[in-house]
Amino acid sequence: MRLLLIEDDATLGGGLRDFLAGDGYRVDWVTSLAAAAGLEREPYDAWLLDWNLPDGSGLDWLAGQRARGAATPAIVLTARDRLDERIRGLDSGADDFLVKPFAPEELVARLRALARRSAGLGAGQRVIGEVTVDLHARQVVRGGAAVALTAREWQILEALVLRAGRVVAKHELDALASGFDGEASSNAMEVHVSKLRRKLGHAVIETVRGLGYRVPR
Amino acid sequence: MSAPAPAADRPLPSIRNRVGRAALAMTVAWTLAAAGAVGLVVRTAVDDWMDQALQESAELLYGLLSLPASADVLAQHPGSALPAPPHHETLVWQVVSARRQVLLHSHGAPATPWLPAPTPGHADAAGGAWRVYGLALPGREGQVLYVAQPAGERRRARWSATLLSALAALVVGGLGAAWLRWQVRRELQPLTELSDAVSTLDPLQPAVPLPAARRAELRPLVQALAALGERTRQRLASERAFTAHAAHALRTPLAGIDAQLAVAVRQAPPALQERLTQTRGAAQRLQHVVVALLALFRSSAEPQRRRVDLAALAQRLPVAGLQVHADAAAAVDADPDLLAAALANLLDNAARCGAHQVWLSTARGTGSQRLLVRDDGPGIAAELRTRLLDELQPARYQRPLGLGLMLADVVARAHGGRLDLPEPAAGATGTTVLLDLGPAGG
Repeated sequence: MRLLLIEDDATLGGGLRDFLAGDGYRVDWVTSLAAAAGLEREPYDAWLLDWNLPDGSGLDWLAGQRARGAATPAIVLTARDRLDERIRGLDSGADDFLVKPFAPEELVARLRALARRSAGLGAGQRVIGEVTVDLHARQVVRGGAAVALTAREWQILEALVLRAGRVVAKHELDALASGFDGEASSNAMEVHVSKLRRKLGHAVIETVRGLGYRVPR
Repeated sequence: MSAPAPAADRPLPSIRNRVGRAALAMTVAWTLAAAGAVGLVVRTAVDDWMDQALQESAELLYGLLSLPASADVLAQHPGSALPAPPHHETLVWQVVSARRQVLLHSHGAPATPWLPAPTPGHADAAGGAWRVYGLALPGREGQVLYVAQPAGERRRARWSATLLSALAALVVGGLGAAWLRWQVRRELQPLTELSDAVSTLDPLQPAVPLPAARRAELRPLVQALAALGERTRQRLASERAFTAHAAHALRTPLAGIDAQLAVAVRQAPPALQERLTQTRGAAQRLQHVVVALLALFRSSAEPQRRRVDLAALAQRLPVAGLQVHADAAAAVDADPDLLAAALANLLDNAARCGAHQVWLSTARGTGSQRLLVRDDGPGIAAELRTRLLDELQPARYQRPLGLGLMLADVVARAHGGRLDLPEPAAGATGTTVLLDLGPAGG
């Protein structure tokens, strides 16, 4: 999953970025709303944002994004814990609300829950024919046997499974799977998809000519 | 364990009763004073009036006895009483000769002279039993007319006047005292209404002010209460603002420390794993304490009560090395944040005291909710338990108590209850902490 983290505290932001990266998330971390300008148009699986930022309110920024139609799931990280504040946060477009201090393991659990809800998955698993993709365990099983994937192959498959039934453009898939550090080559993406098909079968990832790829719902 | 009633709970003297008693004492004193004064006045007035009556009666008889015919009467019936129908005489008379012989007397007068020698004017006779007025009869060779009255008549008249005056004073005083008591009650009614208004006053709701003073004496009190409400409002606003700043200043670095330690635990070589894990555990305990303190600091407002499922709450409060059990159906009506803060500290206490398991359960109290936190640790020595309760029950918190117990007690008190350390049952081990959380919905 690719995440945008907007957090001005260096200790917390750096710690979360590294912890989430250790769990396989691609995290783009910025410390202000100004630095986040433009990133809202990037494809992300979730936004993690602080309420109080040096150049404004993260909640107002989120409300602005929601007003413009952005549907990216968002978790607000905040020191505010009053009931009315939590309600205000959720009403402003947040999908979840995590009060500091929190354990990063809890944030990861909430991200998993958010992904499940976004993808319409009850137990975090997507079954496509004889292939089962377990987003929690980060495992793929085909015909009862575990399938070994590279990190990039998993990232591509995860991005498609989270958007099952929807066509994901190649550039979007590349951004979701690679973040800013990924390979910018269209050929590289095709090579990874090709390898995935060999491991999982051709029915798992469909090519929609001229548009991108799709995993059936 | 019962504690002596605090001074504030002892009944105080009532203004109404005190004024009523003062009025009653004044009535009694007024009655005695009035009766005494009337007695003195009546004594003099009755004596003067009756002496005057004696004199006038004597002068009237003097006229009759001066008639020529009266000399024959005196000569014909010496020493006798005039005939008369049966009656009670309060004024009697006798005519005494120069030789001290009673020549004639009225029906109720004695047959012997009242006085040993002719005595004109007023005198007391027979040792004060009679009051006598003497008048010498003209041309009758030393004959003297005496008109007398028994002294008892005078005493009766004096006592009757005094008693009636006292009774009248008593009735007037009693009615006055009752009226005063009623009036005091009526005058104190605005104070009662003000007390009722203050008891439901919320300083955070300036839109609902105190009612206007209905007595001039209450105006300073109403103004002082309004000023107090304003100061409370400002202080709460200031504390809330401070809490918000403090929360941000404390919570974010704590979250950062935990995130960095979580990464360090993952990336550290095996030799450092245990040390870093312990450090992270300590940092998380610090988080619990800070969060609890912030929650308590903010809890100057009423607790935000909701149904709190104990099993779900226990899952939110992991303590390394401690298994927490709670009945699936156990729930209380409490502020979830405050209760979490209290329980986090009690669980931390239990773990640090050597407990491995804790059981959360509820019990029925008299109109209150009771949450029991029981552990399998070594328990508390009886002497320490007594000392802790001595600090907790008056909420003194002066001697070292441990933050966990103090926080839990403050949380319980915020809910209208308190913390107790019940005596363990015979043969039982471990420690039981009882949190009385007040009535549900209270």
